[in-house]
Amino acid sequence: MAGPQSDLLQGTLDLLILKALALEQLHGMGISRRIAQMTNAAFDVKAGSLFPALHRMEQAGWLTSSWGQAETNRRAKFYALTKAGRKQLQTETARWERISLAMGAALGIRQEAL
Amino acid sequence: MISRLRSLLKNLFRKQQLDTDLDEELSAYLDLVSVEKMKSGLSPEEARRAARREMGGAEQIRQGVRDIRAGVSLERLSQDIRYGLRTLRKNPAFSLVAVATLALGIGANTAMFSLLDQIVLRLLPVQQPERLMKVTIRGNNYGNTYGADRISWPMFEDLRDRNQVFTDMFCRFPITVTVGYQDRAQQVMGELISGSYFPLLGVGAALGRTIAPDDDKVPDSQPVVVLSYSFWRNYFNADRSIVGRTIELNGHSMTVIGVAQRGFDGVELGNPAQMFIPIMMKTEMTPHSDGLKDRRRRLAWVGAYGRLKPGITAEQAQSSLQPLLHSILQMEVQQPDFRSFTNDDRLRFLRNRIEVVPGSDNGLRDTMQRPLWILIALTAAVLLLACASLANLLLARATVREREMAVRLAIGAARGRIVRQLMVETLLLSGAGVLLGLALAFLADHLLVLTFLPANQATEFAVSPVPDIRVLAFTLGMLLVTSLAFGLMPALRGSRTAIAPSLQERSGSGSAASVPLRRLFVVAQVALSLLLLVGAGLFVRTLRNLRNLGPGFPTRHLIEFTLDPSLNGYSNDQTESFYERLNTNLQTMPGVSAVGLSSMPILKGYAWQNAIIGQESGAPQREQPVLSQIGPGYFSTLGIPILEGREFTDQDRGPQMVAVINQSFAKRYLPPGDPMGRRFGLVDDQKPDLRPNIQVIGVIPDTKYRDLRETPPPQAYFSYLQGTNFRFMTVYLRTQGDPRDLENALRERMRRFDPRVPLVDLQTVDEEIGWSLTTERLIASLSTVFGALAMLLAVIGLYGVMAYTVTRRTREMGIRIALGATRSRIIGMVMREASFMVLVGLATGAGLALALTSLIRNQLFGLNPHDPWTLFGAAFSLAVAAGLAGFIPALRASSVDPTNALRRE
Repeated sequence: MAGPQSDLLQGTLDLLILKALALEQLHGMGISRRIAQMTNAAFDVKAGSLFPALHRMEQAGWLTSSWGQAETNRRAKFYALTKAGRKQLQTETARWERISLAMGAALGIRQEAL
Repeated sequence: MISRLRSLLKNLFRKQQLDTDLDEELSAYLDLVSVEKMKSGLSPEEARRAARREMGGAEQIRQGVRDIRAGVSLERLSQDIRYGLRTLRKNPAFSLVAVATLALGIGANTAMFSLLDQIVLRLLPVQQPERLMKVTIRGNNYGNTYGADRISWPMFEDLRDRNQVFTDMFCRFPITVTVGYQDRAQQVMGELISGSYFPLLGVGAALGRTIAPDDDKVPDSQPVVVLSYSFWRNYFNADRSIVGRTIELNGHSMTVIGVAQRGFDGVELGNPAQMFIPIMMKTEMTPHSDGLKDRRRRLAWVGAYGRLKPGITAEQAQSSLQPLLHSILQMEVQQPDFRSFTNDDRLRFLRNRIEVVPGSDNGLRDTMQRPLWILIALTAAVLLLACASLANLLLARATVREREMAVRLAIGAARGRIVRQLMVETLLLSGAGVLLGLALAFLADHLLVLTFLPANQATEFAVSPVPDIRVLAFTLGMLLVTSLAFGLMPALRGSRTAIAPSLQERSGSGSAASVPLRRLFVVAQVALSLLLLVGAGLFVRTLRNLRNLGPGFPTRHLIEFTLDPSLNGYSNDQTESFYERLNTNLQTMPGVSAVGLSSMPILKGYAWQNAIIGQESGAPQREQPVLSQIGPGYFSTLGIPILEGREFTDQDRGPQMVAVINQSFAKRYLPPGDPMGRRFGLVDDQKPDLRPNIQVIGVIPDTKYRDLRETPPPQAYFSYLQGTNFRFMTVYLRTQGDPRDLENALRERMRRFDPRVPLVDLQTVDEEIGWSLTTERLIASLSTVFGALAMLLAVIGLYGVMAYTVTRRTREMGIRIALGATRSRIIGMVMREASFMVLVGLATGAGLALALTSLIRNQLFGLNPHDPWTLFGAAFSLAVAAGLAGFIPALRASSVDPTNALRRE
């Protein structure tokens, strides 16, 4: 487990990747585009952080990968959530909810703004 | 199993595959991004460039991924270790038994290997020890000899100067030396050496210089001495200014010229030399005999060594030396001393063979080799048993943890990960076992060196309990083998757990798949421990047989010590008067009831042997009796009865030589009838006219002389007062109380009697007998410990399996009881299962024992290796212990409450 000591940014990226894969399996570029779409282009995940993250999460047992056909008939590696990954997504989501509420309260942002 | 191993191996080579995968993944990403850019209207080249810009450096990404991979495996390893420690802590009983089992197995092996390595396997700490050879002559020596591996000084000179196979040769002669330095006197071991000794061995000086070929030229001219490093440290407190000073050796002033290099204690393990003296000083160091100037070639006293020339093997050297030896022997039989020999004797003498053996061989190695190999074999069996126990434990645990594994698999853990996790646990266990085992080995060796090596050597003995690199490598090898062999199998089993059935099983006690395997382990354990118990039984009974045998006289109240005033430069007359005064002095000592002196200590393996002629036949007899010179009252002191005639008195010092003989001597050498008054004579090369000039004045019964195992040899005793050459004497005292209480008073009395003559080997005769049985005691006590250990492990193993089966079958027992089975029936059912395993194990073990115990025939005394009582006794005690181990679970099974058992579901 990444544990609470993992820095905020990495935790964020992991959670975004998990969330991006919640519906269907995607290849690397697909994940990157899905994250952009989900966050209204606020996050543009570069390949340099995406791929290490994907491999780390695969080794942690949250993702599995398999080779498949991409849109252009090109062979690409697709990532999907494992059971552990889904569970991780749940716990991380819950944690983020708590953090964002706490941060919001601390910074004086009104609940509605979230 | 094989396929699992293969996939494990494949994982090791996966790195390459991962890298090519990553390359393809990245190029796919690049392609997909370019396609996207082209869709938004860019030309293919522009799209490609844009995509590259967006992706960034491919090599950086690759490195990033690689870092992650490495980091993750490290992270995972520490996770596995932490998890493993936690699981082991959660089951302290399991962990304790497992670690203790391994520690005992590994500790026993390491301890024994350490001794074997130092005593048997290791070569001398000299340059190229494998090229150093000892040269001995096998066959008949018609003269006096100091041992089978000695040759005469002229013979050594001839071999050294005329051989073609050695770069050089040296010779040595071990002696005891009385050292005097600043009013302290002590007897130590020294070595008279030829000048080539240090250069040929390649041993240098830690301080000053060593003895050089120049010190080897003129007899009596080199009063110099080199100290051994350990003696310099212990006796002179590592005083560097000792070089150049003078010390007294056997009453002669000698100059210390140096200290030999550290760790070098001469060429004979077990007889460490504390000082080295040029052989030219032979006359001064051993005033009683002068082999150096004796050109008659009849006294074999030096041990000869040579360094093989490059490219020459020991066999080649031996065959090249044989013709040389033959020509020397042909010259020797022409010498006047051979006049008295028959033609037959001459021919036999000419058939003597030369032998070239490894220079690192020594007496201790010869005597300890077999016992140590036997003990190593025993400890190997113990280790095998420990491994079987451990495998059994791990299997049991793997079964209990099947549910845990199933849960972990169900929530997505990789099987490889589980195998690794279990392996990490096993390695943690065996690592702890090894550490503890090493500590045990150190303690055990320390104890063994103290207990089983003669007291005066224990402190300076070259065998050390500290394990060296080779021993550590040996132990680590055992760690790997045991963990791999016995951790991997349960681990693979564990990872193969089928998820659904394990989770469905309601009682939670796991599948029965491993039970046959565990039964097999129990059978093997029982078989091995029976083998060890039989071995222990045979050795213990051998020891008891030897102890019960006794030397043939009561030893309880005897104490002994040895002295040699001649080493202090006392003349013959002075020495004689020294002994007479000593005899009178000790007779008045409180607590002492009798005093007897002897020139040859008994039960130490020493003997003075000489050919004799009887009254009737004039020809020398080839078989030699054991002889000794003793003082008045010797037999009454030792408690040996006089069957006929009388023992020696103070009056037996006239010209008429008298002797007391034992019954075997009378039977063997004297004509039938009353031996009293018969005459015989000693063969002496220097006196060609042999006369039977010794008259028998007494007869004693046969008693042991050299050791307890021997059949008493023919013995003849003379009065030392009729001797001409007074040297060392062993003094025996019969005490009124416990002889050990007298030790300090005796030391004090002797110091006052003559402070210059040191007391050597002060001990009770019972202690002496104990030492003479050292090897037997070593084997008997260690094999008993190993046997008990083995039995304990086997019993624990059996208990474990039976307890486990009973728990698994609780429901079945409940139903049986509910249907009316009686308690005794249930007990019988469980006991049948246990007895089956025990019986198969006992049968296998008995077969093994019958096949293997004949290998130790030579180590036994007074019983057959197939001794039925030992086998039966071992099997019986093992069966009883195993029966108990099976009875407890059986009792538990029979007291199952059917309602509870059925409700447990």
